[in-house]
Amino acid sequence: MDRILKGLRHAADAVAAGMLAAMFAIFLVQIAARYVFSFSLGWTVELSLSLWLWIVFWGSAFCLRPADHIRFDVLYLSVQRPVQRVFSVICAVAIVIAFVAAYLPTWDYVDFYKIKRSSTLRIPLNYVFIIYMAFMTMIILRYSRMIVDFLRGKHDLEGKITSYDLIDTETGR
Amino acid sequence: AQDKITLRLSSVNTETDSRAIGLIEKFGPGVAEFANFEPHWNGTLFKQGTELEAIARGNLEMSIASAQEFSSFFPEFTILTAGYVHQSAEHQIAVFNDPIMDPLKAKVEAELGVKLLTVMYLGKRQINLKGDKEIKTPADMAGIKLRMPGTDAWQFLGSALGASPVPVAFPELYTALQTGAVDGQDNPLPSVIDSKFYEVTNQVVLTSHLVDLNYLTISKAAWDAMTPEQQAATQAAADAAAEHARQMQLQKEADAVAFLESQGLKVYEPDVAAFRDAVQAAYLASDYAKDWPAGMLERINELAK
Amino acid sequence: MSLAFSVCLVVLCAAAAMGMPIALAMIVSAVAYLAISGQDLALASEQLIQSVYDSFVLLAVPLFIVAANIMNAGAISDRLLDFCKAMVGRFKGGLAQVDILVSLIFSGMSGSAVADAAGVGKISIAMMLKTGHYTPGFAGAVVAASATIGPIIPPSIPMVLYALVSDASIGYLFLGGVIPGVLMTLVLMVMNSVIAHRRNIPAEEAVPLRRLPGITLRAMPALMMPVILLAGIYGGATTPTEAAAVAALYALLVSGLFYRSLSLRALYDIFLDSSRSSASVGLVIGSALIFNYIVATENIPTAISGALVEMDLSRMEFLLLVNVMFLLLGCVLDASTIILVIIPLFLPTAAALGVDPIHFGVMSVVNCMIGLITPPYGMLLFVINGVTGIAIKDMVKEGMPFLFALLTALVALTLVPDLILFLPRMFGYEG
Ligand code: NA
Ligand code: NA
Repeated sequence: MDRILKGLRHAADAVAAGMLAAMFAIFLVQIAARYVFSFSLGWTVELSLSLWLWIVFWGSAFCLRPADHIRFDVLYLSVQRPVQRVFSVICAVAIVIAFVAAYLPTWDYVDFYKIKRSSTLRIPLNYVFIIYMAFMTMIILRYSRMIVDFLRGKHDLEGKITSYDLIDTETGR
Repeated sequence: AQDKITLRLSSVNTETDSRAIGLIEKFGPGVAEFANFEPHWNGTLFKQGTELEAIARGNLEMSIASAQEFSSFFPEFTILTAGYVHQSAEHQIAVFNDPIMDPLKAKVEAELGVKLLTVMYLGKRQINLKGDKEIKTPADMAGIKLRMPGTDAWQFLGSALGASPVPVAFPELYTALQTGAVDGQDNPLPSVIDSKFYEVTNQVVLTSHLVDLNYLTISKAAWDAMTPEQQAATQAAADAAAEHARQMQLQKEADAVAFLESQGLKVYEPDVAAFRDAVQAAYLASDYAKDWPAGMLERINELAK
Repeated sequence: MSLAFSVCLVVLCAAAAMGMPIALAMIVSAVAYLAISGQDLALASEQLIQSVYDSFVLLAVPLFIVAANIMNAGAISDRLLDFCKAMVGRFKGGLAQVDILVSLIFSGMSGSAVADAAGVGKISIAMMLKTGHYTPGFAGAVVAASATIGPIIPPSIPMVLYALVSDASIGYLFLGGVIPGVLMTLVLMVMNSVIAHRRNIPAEEAVPLRRLPGITLRAMPALMMPVILLAGIYGGATTPTEAAAVAALYALLVSGLFYRSLSLRALYDIFLDSSRSSASVGLVIGSALIFNYIVATENIPTAISGALVEMDLSRMEFLLLVNVMFLLLGCVLDASTIILVIIPLFLPTAAALGVDPIHFGVMSVVNCMIGLITPPYGMLLFVINGVTGIAIKDMVKEGMPFLFALLTALVALTLVPDLILFLPRMFGYEG
């Protein structure tokens, strides 16, 4: 099981790195096309924006470890570990409630886009935006697991909050 | 009273734009008896190009939408975005009120829950260039890096004009012109002044290749909730706002030429017929024309007399 | 203020304080707001998705992150920083001075403070920490404060946004930013020098003059980067956003071919690392932009402007009040929200009082950039925290003197409009 999860995580990482490399390459193609060959490629703008959207939400869904998240830690770091754990669980509960409540409306929103096509590649936009559902799903799974761990009395949260992370079978960074 | 309808409008233009002034001065007062008109400018409520979805999903009542936006839902709208189709402000009104528009309006109402209230005039797009190369025909545009908005339809129009179209985000356009990343841009003349493009360009070629328009839209649900009297008042207020904005914009365009010349720009007409022939031929040979309703182009041309 | 909006702010502050990732805190509080005000719960998702999908300018962020990571891995920045070290390293607190100088060089090629901090700032921090003479909080604070220079020296995305809402000339705005940018560099260097002397932060070993040509030569490919970028942008080869991709390509070529210090494996790690940083920064920016919708829905800007008209102020009172107000708003709002939503409300009053639009614009942008380093909502703090893991609390504490220095510069720019208007007037501005 762990090996499968680890393999999946590496695959997710490779996809994220590949998308960013692709975005970089597209920019170079765009500049080259325009200034070396003096014509322009309309699809480059749309594809790079779509990749950016996917990088943000794919990365946030599958690749970000707890330490990668930007957080405001003034109060958090100044309290004792047990209080930190309580904070973490309250946060996890709030996140799960909010994301579950918004889940179906958001699905409805993304699904709406099957009737609108992107301006250049003419892709139905629900396929572009679907990555946001993956993001919501993973956030719900991760933080639910954290609540379950807490209820089971697992005490491995420490400062690293490793169990925030469902896929990450290593011990965080 | 408490039970007044709220009509929120989201639009990306600024509060000082003619469309905004028209709506604030004519539409708001026109519906004041039964509705609170609450406009949000600068795209602060919904992002550019997402207002129609917001109305469709019941999150917004009104917007100012372009034909390009509609064409991303309904390809037949590309006919209204094509170069040299609309020929003047009056022609736009005639086309909008002609029965030829009815199937399009009905489709938008049925599938998006959006009602087209009236047509708003944005102005004639002209080509605004650096350098002093005189442009007479599309052939003279060869190799000129012309900034056009980033979508395929705009880029296509740029090619049809004979230029090498370049997609540059509008906020980057001034710098791109200043530095020569692009050789020119196309917009109605008031935009050349408002965005100070005249500071970094040398000439305006009066191609009038696109007589640009927007539609003032309202949510079908909000419309259906009104009494017939309220609907009539809303329609009258919308038309009055559009007319007020149109006159302002036409005046601005008329004043713009003198101002631009006073700033040292050369303003002149090219061989417009040559441009029109080249652009229309390009559209008719393209995939866009396949989506156009049969007979619509002929009818539109007829309305221009 | 509605009940829903009050609850939203309370939830946001509480969640953020309890250590919830800031992006998630913003999403959660936005959902709470929508639920209480009876709106479509998908609107938070809608605003987040569209904010990310909408902004071509934002694409510079991941590309500058890639460029910075390549420079870091490929020894380019080492050589560039060696050079700055040879220049200003001999002074106390030398590495921090180096960072401020590098920021000035970099600001000439980037329009975004966030990209500056995520890029060269990350490298500067690593260098400072390696010596052991600088606390992480201090290193982060210096980098955050110096990154605010980026959008003051042209090119500048915030100034373009201001021009859009004010109808002021972009060309004159850019010129107006040059002296303020240099002024900010100077006050930061002076403040850093004061702290370095008090704490006795050692200087780097002074580089003998005879070694200077060698160091300069070795750094030349790196030093050429800003030159190539500026030539690219001003010579017309690229737009400012594309300049980021060119920067990454140039870094790649120099590292791979010239310095031969980049393996394929290292390249993969660079892209993986960059994609993680991009995701976390992008998620925060997108989540912040949800609040544009909420603030607009609540008509907050209108309420503020109404109150202002009733106060009947003099020009100087107005400018000082506006500065205080923007600084306070900068604590909780995104800079682009302030520029696009809040500033337009003050423009009519400013014009009525005879405030020059270029002066008002540059002053406001400087103010907003200071807002990027003020807690609790300071984008630069988040970004540096995101790319280095340095605690925001520590940066805020160590950043106070630098904040003070920048505020001094802001006061000077407010009281002496000539500091801003001198250069534009030299080039023909009549104002
Ligand atoms: Na800059
Ligand atoms: Na702040």
